[in-house]
Amino acid sequence: MSKSWLPKITFWRTVVALIFAAGAYSAYARFALGFHQSTNLVDAQPWGLWVGLGTLCGVGISAGGFAIAAAVYLLGFERYRPVIRAAVLLSFLGYLSVIVGMMYELGLPWRIWHPIVMWNRRSVLFEVSWCVMLYSTVLALEFSPSLVERIPWVGLRQFYLKWHQQILIGLVMVGAILSSLHQSFLGGLYLLAKGKLDPLWYSQYLPTLFYLSAVPAGLAATIMAVFLCNRSLHTRVDPGILTEMSQVIAPLLYVYAVLRGIDLFTHGGASYLWMWREETLLFWLEIGLFVLAPIFLLSRQSVRRNPHSLYWTCALVVMGFMANRLNVSITAFQRSSGFYYVPKWTEFALTIATVTAAAVAFHYAVVYLEILPKNLSPNKWIAENPAAA
Amino acid sequence: MPRTKAILIDITKCIGCLSCEKACKEIHGFPSDTEPKLSPTALTVVEEHSDRFVRRLCMNCQDPACASACLVGALKKTELGPVTYESSKCIGCRYCIVACPFNVPRYEWSKLVPFVKKCDMCYARQVKGQPPACVEACPVQASISGWRDEILEEAQRRVLLDSKYVKHIYGSEEVGGTSVFFISDVPFEKLGFSNVSSQPMPVLTANALGDIPTVVFVGGGLLAGLYWITNRRKQVALFEAQESTRTNEKE
Repeated sequence: MSKSWLPKITFWRTVVALIFAAGAYSAYARFALGFHQSTNLVDAQPWGLWVGLGTLCGVGISAGGFAIAAAVYLLGFERYRPVIRAAVLLSFLGYLSVIVGMMYELGLPWRIWHPIVMWNRRSVLFEVSWCVMLYSTVLALEFSPSLVERIPWVGLRQFYLKWHQQILIGLVMVGAILSSLHQSFLGGLYLLAKGKLDPLWYSQYLPTLFYLSAVPAGLAATIMAVFLCNRSLHTRVDPGILTEMSQVIAPLLYVYAVLRGIDLFTHGGASYLWMWREETLLFWLEIGLFVLAPIFLLSRQSVRRNPHSLYWTCALVVMGFMANRLNVSITAFQRSSGFYYVPKWTEFALTIATVTAAAVAFHYAVVYLEILPKNLSPNKWIAENPAAA
Repeated sequence: MPRTKAILIDITKCIGCLSCEKACKEIHGFPSDTEPKLSPTALTVVEEHSDRFVRRLCMNCQDPACASACLVGALKKTELGPVTYESSKCIGCRYCIVACPFNVPRYEWSKLVPFVKKCDMCYARQVKGQPPACVEACPVQASISGWRDEILEEAQRRVLLDSKYVKHIYGSEEVGGTSVFFISDVPFEKLGFSNVSSQPMPVLTANALGDIPTVVFVGGGLLAGLYWITNRRKQVALFEAQESTRTNEKE
């Protein structure tokens, strides 16, 4: 008898275990030793990697869920229906990881509930906190059928699914609005950093720019996730769907680029475009990764139709998006603050561990729940179709 | 608006004796060693710029960025003028530190239960009619305090009467006005003062927040309209399919 109940030691499981171990130590450092021992944050850089990468990128990459759900349920793009659940799950896990991130990002995380009862309607962060609470609830409800389907009691299951069907359209509408507000307000947070944020990034239209950049990044992340499931988890989603989704990304990036350009030229940031500074280099790196390279690549049919090339192009979009959020939250502050912030390894470790946990959860959800259409193994197919055998 | 309190700091008079620093530390129960920069245990410090002594402390703005940023309303502009911090509300998000145009609030990074620290013009003393501890301690009246309108008048009088002063009262217009004023004989940009606009900071986010109802109603209406069209098209398609089946059956 083989001991099949013991987990097999594979390369990726080892990597994940190491990441979790490093994350566990970092969590210990954060809670038992404090910010000073676990981060390189100072008063000149009060928000670092946990906000820049964990929160801003986490929320942005989760924009795929509302976009796909709205496209299918409200606009009737039935073609995307097979990837809805994957997109919603990705967003849901993205939001969960953002909430987990807040638990170590906030100085006093046990007071995370304070915004529910202590209101300040003048604060963008107050609106952000309500968007997180409400939209996480919406995402949980949107995702819930995947779990409820597994309830063995038929009556309860049917009751819930019927009720869910009735509220679904409302949920999708509310979700689209909340998510749009949330994406925009994350940019809105930085409106108060006027004079601190480098002119290449500061704009009164930061909310709009954050919104317009999150949607293509969210779609690109969804394409990547579905591609990886097709490759490694025996799901079978028509690659043509991913190709069609990618055709939406390029126009969105184009709109973003045009608005960003107009904005830079109207408020005067454009004079910094060719100035020899570290910020300028980072700006062009961001624009190259997020806008120029993907627009060029996605205009080629050979790239869109080849799942591998499409995957890597989407990876560029996601990386460019992350470069943008890290620039806004970290590097664009450095000149005015005079402080050169390099995150401590424990900051990286905790964020990476949180993202890894979300990825592992996504993996097992796809394997054990009905998230994406699956290839049946031959034996299972024969068992379910005895007549064919 | 009721009368508010203010502090005037005359940089030409300051002798750099650090009495204000000491008094501040004493009244807050902080360790007494001198610190070069603002810190969680030094809510005011005297810095040296261009051979002048420049005191740093919270400006207690008239329309403070920090109070508009604070999501739980821990930071508040009081009726009396000081901007106070209610630590029991704070969740430690540090948005106030990001928002402050003068880089004043300090965070207790090395504590396990960290709070924000900043000067509140000795609000507790002001309520009782006493001046801030730093002002009381100043041996040469380089810092004076009182009602804001009277203090501003005094600053204007000094700047007008003596030609050595730069013709500007720092804090009279900055970010819509503050409760701490500086007058000096050396240009303020040489003394390490932030060059900020005269617009109150919260205006920057007020527009974005004002757009919420528009987004909700226009966005909601648009989505509902699109859904109606989608749904209608599905119904029409279904009806047409049924019709054509029926005609086929008849034939």
